[in-house]
Amino acid sequence: MELIIKKDQIKNWLGELKKDFKIVDSRKKSLPAKQYFFPPKEGLFNFNKKTEKLKTIDNSKNILLIIGYLDELEAMTQLDEIMEKPHKDFFYWQKRNKSVLIGIIDKSFKVPKGGDIVLEKINEKEYRTWILNSKGRKLIKNKFFKKVLKPRVVDYPSKHKPFKEMLLDPELLADAVEWSWKSHHKIWDELAGKCLGCGICTYVCPLCHCFSIEDRVVLDDSECIRCREWDACTLPKFAEVAGEHNFHKTIKERYYNWYYHKFVRAYKEFGKSQCVACGNCGRNCPAGIKINDVLKEIVEDYKNQ
Amino acid sequence: MKNIYKPFKVNIVKIEDHSSNVKLFRLQKTKGNFLVNEKGTVFNPGQFILISHFGYGEAPFGIASSPFETRYIDIVVRKAGCLTKAVHQLKTGNQIFMRGPYGHGFPVDFMAGKDVVMVTGGCGIPPIASLIEYIIEYRKKFGRTYLIYGARTPSDLLMKDNFKKWEKYIKVMLTVDKPDQEWKGHVGMVSSIISDIKIDPLDAVSAMCGPGPMMDALERILRPLGISDRRIFVNMERKMQCGVGKCQHCTVGEKYVCQDGPVFNFDEIDKSWD
Repeated sequence: MELIIKKDQIKNWLGELKKDFKIVDSRKKSLPAKQYFFPPKEGLFNFNKKTEKLKTIDNSKNILLIIGYLDELEAMTQLDEIMEKPHKDFFYWQKRNKSVLIGIIDKSFKVPKGGDIVLEKINEKEYRTWILNSKGRKLIKNKFFKKVLKPRVVDYPSKHKPFKEMLLDPELLADAVEWSWKSHHKIWDELAGKCLGCGICTYVCPLCHCFSIEDRVVLDDSECIRCREWDACTLPKFAEVAGEHNFHKTIKERYYNWYYHKFVRAYKEFGKSQCVACGNCGRNCPAGIKINDVLKEIVEDYKNQ
Repeated sequence: MKNIYKPFKVNIVKIEDHSSNVKLFRLQKTKGNFLVNEKGTVFNPGQFILISHFGYGEAPFGIASSPFETRYIDIVVRKAGCLTKAVHQLKTGNQIFMRGPYGHGFPVDFMAGKDVVMVTGGCGIPPIASLIEYIIEYRKKFGRTYLIYGARTPSDLLMKDNFKKWEKYIKVMLTVDKPDQEWKGHVGMVSSIISDIKIDPLDAVSAMCGPGPMMDALERILRPLGISDRRIFVNMERKMQCGVGKCQHCTVGEKYVCQDGPVFNFDEIDKSWD
């Protein structure tokens, strides 16, 4: 028995959910789903300079987010974990707690690794429903979902991604990346020559979560807003302290640090790489650097050393 | 849900000039005393707090007062950037915000029973000062204890008023790079300091803070004395934003200075790529 929703009914179903949620479709956005819970810039606190009162800004929203890719759903599961440990990130969970993630996936798959409900395309007219938790269960008790004994299932295969397979061995990736730096692999000098240090790869990454905290004062000096905004470890001042001492002076160190975080530090901290092979970084890099090619070269050389 | 980023208000109850560009600020809670932890201290020596001056930002500071003091916390602020310049403008009676204490301090239980050599320079004195206060409180638990404190000139030595008290309990050795006419202490991180230090190298630990004289002291004093890198503990400085292991600014290899540090075993941190 499968729970089925007709393709032309999805719109009506979402229309009905509008009364409880702000519906956001992330499928055509250039920035990843993280932006709705960890926005590029948001106010955290408001400090009134006259009354000296400090107020926490309430950014909570009931968002129903539609996600079109399995990788992005998986990334959201990982980001939840990052924002949960070792301490709950208040401002992320303020929005995330009240939100619902719905995957609408046009490819066939075995198991979805994230989301509250995932709709999987099974033929031109129908989607099969995967309910992943109680949050999702609440949303399907309506006329749009029907139980069907044996629906017609067509296979919509995904493109084979060898990089996705590499991620199955995060320990090898961690060892290879660390080895490449210690053994002065030529690739880091080559990449330092190519990388523009623009930070785009980190902004489009569904898992990068570096941020800075900065105070903005309104023009009449009456109040101050403490803001958090996305930062990028490849930017020149990322590790610079007051007095201008910079702990990551060169682009080579900063660019390596990006890989080190994703594949070494993340592995040691969470037991997996902070990458879901979505390919956003490669598609958006103005210098044309492909993270999968870099890793492929490092891993091959590491194995053949 | 607890808001890990929300600071609380404290009163500035005392300001002292410690050098031409360094001031000490004494902070008191607006109501009641600072809470003590399971060890009976307000913080562990070496832990840090984040100070907020709204409109200018937030930054980490080591705590210079005694960890047993519940009425106030002292921080030592050198004018270095936008925030510290603004903090220097504040007057007694003004208010400021803080959160913390954060991180792990010096491993005082590991250090107990051993001889202790503390090395710091200039503005690196605050966490060492709180460690000294801890050692003084439990003086009998620690062996022979030395402080080697270096600065560029005699007027750059901070917390001078504490030296007399400290000298009653531990050996204080001061050194400067550019002495004036009245200077009677050492000049530079000279190896002659070693002859004044009597420790059992196999049963001694070292606590260090500040990048300045650290490497010099390591090469010229601590290693020649025979203290192994595994028994040297360093208080690290890095750019810090969140203080709670999220923002990624303060990393050293796989470690976060805010969560895993700021005090690290030198042997462990020396192997890190950055």
